[in-house]
Amino acid sequence: MELLNLSIRELNNLFVNKKAKPSELYSEIFDRAANSEAALHAHLSLFEETNLEKAKNSDERFSNSENVGLLDGIPLAIKDNINIKNEKTTCSSKMLSNFISPYNATVISKLDTEQAIYTGKTNLDEFAMGSSTENSAFGLTRNPWNTDYVPGGSSGGSAASVASRSSIAALGSDTGGSIRQPASFCGLVGFKPTYGTVSRYGLVAFASSLDQIGPISKSVDDARIIYSAISGHDSLDSTSINDEQIDLPFDKNATIGIVKELMEDGISEESKKEVDKVIDILKQKGYNIKEVSLPLIKLSISIYYLIAPAECSANLARFDGVRYGLRVDGKTSYEMMENTRAEGFGDEVKRRILLGTYALSAGYYDEYYGKALRARKKMVDEFSSIFKECDYLISPTTPTEAFKAGEKTSNPLEMYMSDLCTIPANLAGLPAISIPTGLSSNNLPLGVQIMSKPLTDNSLLNFSEMLEKELDFNRTPEGWSK
Amino acid sequence: MSEKFDISNIAKLASISLSDDEKQKLSSDLSVILEHVQALSNLELDTNIEDVYIHPLEKELVLDEDIEKPSLTHDEALSNAPKASDGKFIVPPSLE
Repeated sequence: MELLNLSIRELNNLFVNKKAKPSELYSEIFDRAANSEAALHAHLSLFEETNLEKAKNSDERFSNSENVGLLDGIPLAIKDNINIKNEKTTCSSKMLSNFISPYNATVISKLDTEQAIYTGKTNLDEFAMGSSTENSAFGLTRNPWNTDYVPGGSSGGSAASVASRSSIAALGSDTGGSIRQPASFCGLVGFKPTYGTVSRYGLVAFASSLDQIGPISKSVDDARIIYSAISGHDSLDSTSINDEQIDLPFDKNATIGIVKELMEDGISEESKKEVDKVIDILKQKGYNIKEVSLPLIKLSISIYYLIAPAECSANLARFDGVRYGLRVDGKTSYEMMENTRAEGFGDEVKRRILLGTYALSAGYYDEYYGKALRARKKMVDEFSSIFKECDYLISPTTPTEAFKAGEKTSNPLEMYMSDLCTIPANLAGLPAISIPTGLSSNNLPLGVQIMSKPLTDNSLLNFSEMLEKELDFNRTPEGWSK
Repeated sequence: MSEKFDISNIAKLASISLSDDEKQKLSSDLSVILEHVQALSNLELDTNIEDVYIHPLEKELVLDEDIEKPSLTHDEALSNAPKASDGKFIVPPSLE
């Protein structure tokens, strides 16, 4: 039976009705994951033995009608910056190439409770810094739709894994678009939840006020099931929140804003057309649509590239060759640290640490970091004001379709620009989702992004699911459908 | 905003030794990025904002009460150490 293309709910239904077993699914998934590696390199590790055992235990539970929920026996891929106890967490860095995590991230403990199983750990840009998965110390990942192209990043391995049907869904992390941009490039759903609703405990920190874990999946419903399993207050994360969800209308009583600044220069005609297509659908269904302006969005790359590197330079100070990770010897402790960090970090990580160190250094703090924080606050205020008149904001997810491998590696700023549409949601802590809408003239996926105000994740998912049904996008890249 | 910076000093503050080639390349990259963020310099911002939060939802960070709880064991905490002995991390001397 062809199980790889099914949704979580469809698979669960087959397991419950004893028409398929989790171990059969796991075998199919594992074969696909192993066979796709040569072409895609989506994974840094695959867990055949330990998880086949878990899948068989799941068989038993379904056989005895003791299954625990929708994720029981569902194989998920996990981005390799999220800790699974007793497995490697490399963050695609030479710095952590041999690091074995002694603990579980909270999201993993929660998925364990649901009896989900793991296909393996997925490739990423080193420490999640990048937009193409080309910054991995262990080789780049390729886009299943066309292997000349990047899968996006930094969660490019997770997206390539799901798109190639090497996992049913995956966890990624999103600091400036690292879930939504690769999901869009690979024809998938990518959901960045409201900041603080999913614990960051056990996620290797890049920029703590921006990082958020979320799902990459084939459908909105799969994203909802995973979000429901991994969200919730966690006292191990001081930024975790315990607030109730707010309901928004998602029928035609909802008001939809089209973000003017994300439909202007720098956005390809093809990306704009996808938004127009969605607007037409919404108009036909009787939704109220209006153009809205958020002038500070134009400055979001500037704000982000001061705040994220500043936080990164502080977070990555822990990699000093003392407690874990790589050590390169030196005559003194200080020399050892300098040598370790020179050898252990790749170019992009060094670039961001240095930028952040500069932005935080004496004499420049107010001029750079302080100013960026105040600009961020102003952007949050702009969003708050817009959300008084609109329930959902729609824009392209990415300025263009996926780009070719090697096309942007020599120009950091050009690479940063590929996150133009996604960064604002991180700066403002908003829930934001990318859903696939169609294919470009090069036969590469395109998507739209929908944002809503904080704590409206469930309504955002409901609204997105309505659109997903209307769009009816065929989500299987050629060559990976069977 | 200032554009000029001393890459050697920044690298020293960041504890990363850089080759001359790296210094040249990174200086050039950082100049381009810093030029881009200059866009913020024209922005009129309320410099009196005292309550600029780190949490994007403007929440206070919540700390646990100072109560002992189970955590990593001593051996687990040392399990990834590049060099350890006698239950301690071993590092080179601080002074030559």
